[in-house]
Amino acid sequence: MKDEAKIILDICNKILLKNVDHHLRLNLEPISTQFKTLKDEIISSELTKLLVKEDLGGAGMTLTDIIPIVQLSAQYGTPIPFIETIISNFLLSELNVKPENDFITLTNKTENIQIKKDKISGNFKSIPYLNLVEKILVETEIKNQKYIILFKKGGKLKLQKNFLSEPKFDLDASELEIISMMEKPEQIDVQNLLINVRSIQSFGAMEKILKLCIEYCSQRKQFGRTLSKFQMIQNHISEIALEVAASGASLSTLKNNNKNFYNLKSTAIPKIRTGIASGKVIALSHQVHGAMGFTKEYELSYFTKALNSWRNEFGNEIYWQNILGKLFLNQNKNLWEFLNH
Amino acid sequence: MTYFNFPHIEEDDNLKNLRNDVKSFLKTTFNSNNIKPQADAWMYSANPEFSKKLGEKGWLGMSFPKKYGGREKTMLERYVITEELLVAGAPVAAHWIADRQSGSQIIRYGTEEQKKEIIPKISSGECFFAIGMSEPDSGSDLASVKTFAKKTDDCWELTGRKIWSTGAHLSHYMIVLARTEKLDEKNRHSGLSQFLVNLKLPGVEINPIEDMTHQKHFNETVFNNIKLNKDALLGEEGMGWQQVVGELALERSGPERFLSHYILLDNFICEFRYKMSEMGITSLGKIISELQTLRMMSFSIAWMIQEKKSPDVQAAFVKEAGNVFEKKLIETIREMSNLIPFEKWSSSLKSLFQDATLRIPANSLRGGTSEIMRGIISKQLGLR
Ligand SMILES: Cc1cc2nc3c(=O)[nH]c(=O)nc-3n(C[C@H](O)[C@H](O)[C@H](O)COP(=O)(O)OP(=O)(O)OC[C@H]3O[C@@H](n4cnc5c(N)ncnc54)[C@H](O)[C@@H]3O)c2cc1C
Repeated sequence: MKDEAKIILDICNKILLKNVDHHLRLNLEPISTQFKTLKDEIISSELTKLLVKEDLGGAGMTLTDIIPIVQLSAQYGTPIPFIETIISNFLLSELNVKPENDFITLTNKTENIQIKKDKISGNFKSIPYLNLVEKILVETEIKNQKYIILFKKGGKLKLQKNFLSEPKFDLDASELEIISMMEKPEQIDVQNLLINVRSIQSFGAMEKILKLCIEYCSQRKQFGRTLSKFQMIQNHISEIALEVAASGASLSTLKNNNKNFYNLKSTAIPKIRTGIASGKVIALSHQVHGAMGFTKEYELSYFTKALNSWRNEFGNEIYWQNILGKLFLNQNKNLWEFLNH
Repeated sequence: MTYFNFPHIEEDDNLKNLRNDVKSFLKTTFNSNNIKPQADAWMYSANPEFSKKLGEKGWLGMSFPKKYGGREKTMLERYVITEELLVAGAPVAAHWIADRQSGSQIIRYGTEEQKKEIIPKISSGECFFAIGMSEPDSGSDLASVKTFAKKTDDCWELTGRKIWSTGAHLSHYMIVLARTEKLDEKNRHSGLSQFLVNLKLPGVEINPIEDMTHQKHFNETVFNNIKLNKDALLGEEGMGWQQVVGELALERSGPERFLSHYILLDNFICEFRYKMSEMGITSLGKIISELQTLRMMSFSIAWMIQEKKSPDVQAAFVKEAGNVFEKKLIETIREMSNLIPFEKWSSSLKSLFQDATLRIPANSLRGGTSEIMRGIISKQLGLR
């Protein structure tokens, strides 16, 4: 890792360590002091502008550079639109628009979009943390052209019933004020980018779950021994470790090249592998935690709920297995050529 | 918080070119020598002539120093070559163990004469090795081996019985793990040493054992009080355990842990590419994702070995995840063929499938069992 990236990771770690805990996750309100302090520290340290070009006032880092930051933020179970803002600002910067000095959120799930003058109307789905922001970035298609649009929040937010991890909202908007609107550059694939961010976050969350399992089983005693001494429990935890290790390795191609964040094959591989891993890790980690893991007060469930939410987003791993299978079959290559290409 | 790091290593153009060279070499050599691809070829398909040809190409003993006839290439180059050999189902069993682990042990621990004598022959594909770890009463519990080497004034006297020694009947040497001191129950890993044993010595008895597929690739190897020169001690007396752990990392981390049955998959796809159900296509996507991930892990370990790190635990990951993958692969191929009854498969595909089905139970035993791999991982996580 470059020195600069190390320093930034360190700053990020300090802020999250100081401000993020399970209390924050359970009491997330825009007016809470804990949230405000965290937000102020993140915004003022310019962490939301890591991917913004230097001439627009950002750190000029690349997607591959920020993998450890996305991972760290997920390890902490950071319940705020931190990564959403980093990615939104990145997209703005790619369009040569100045970044925002506030949290923003984003979605590419839109329907019935209409633009009249400087106003946008339509239905927006599954917007994370809409309650904590004032502006929304969307990718949407109008007459076969994709646009990226930043607009002001308004209208009625409907909290989705989802996996109770990060809050997600649907929004039926009528004539909301557009701040900027640009054609989406050809080379950027917003959906693949968002999926890859989720795969990295899933890996981070699974690392945290592994840590929780080890700690819990090394303290809790039954039959006069710590749970960690039972071979069956060791087996469960080593299986979790295997899944975590494989998830991390599946992200490898993203570290190779920024363009791989948009590439179908290098998106599908970690999406599938982390999806498979998530299913196993959720089940096994709850098993080794007993009833304690099933409570709201203990933090395990925050992470397993997040995993459940993420692995079902943008199509689950089975859906993506089919895409990857077809991608291979449609190219007239043998499997080994496809793998090495 | 990262527990097990598998650093990302990129395959550069040099490695890509090497892949192509190996591919075209294999194509011509298979054609001109009428070699048939085999599954699990690193264990079942020995062809000393082919091994020699690889040696002539400079593709054995890749990482060994030039002064001992090695090539001073990287572990990543070796990795690429082994992958291509496995994927082609090439007959590599004769030299596999020597090239994978025994040569490296000699480079690390051997005497100058041993290096000069043996390494050039490993590199030219003319010297083969067997692994002398397991015994009738010592499988997973390797430290309990009873084979004993007694030090006399001028030599070592070796007595004991090794078992499951793959390819011993074809091999010139075996690296034997033996006790040089009585077992101390409080310190079970002490008092062990490794020996470099010439299998042609008088008193060495090699008895074939037929496996459940009716093939004779592994053996019982008996040492009847054989006399070994002083320098047959490999490395340090009493340090056998520490040495064997390093050897096992080489044994467990390679692509043979998940590419042993690749040719079955490849043949299956070739035959049924245009007849696959949606379910089959979906399963294929899963295989691709898992296989590619395993390759990244194993490639990363090759780099760690090159950098003189000790990826013992990472190797256990690849071994275990690879075994799980291959077992599932065979079941998945059954599922993928739900539209095409087995009777309608081509005879060559059927034969590959039957071989794989019969051979697969060995995967999670040889090189250490799944349970032992999970034990190693648990220990590293501080659970035991
Ligand atoms: C095809 C093949 C080739 C081989 N080639 C070689 C070779 O070349 N050289 C060589 O030295 N050896 C070789 N082996 C032997 C191999 O290393 C052993 O089979 C392996 O170490 C297991 O030992 P075992 O078979 O005695 O089983 P055991 O150790 O008796 O184990 C039987 C079962 O009990 C389980 N078990 C044992 N201990 C524990 C524990 N502590 N906790 C939980 N479960 C446990 C095992 O996991 C396994 O499921 C080969 C084996 C095979 C199948």
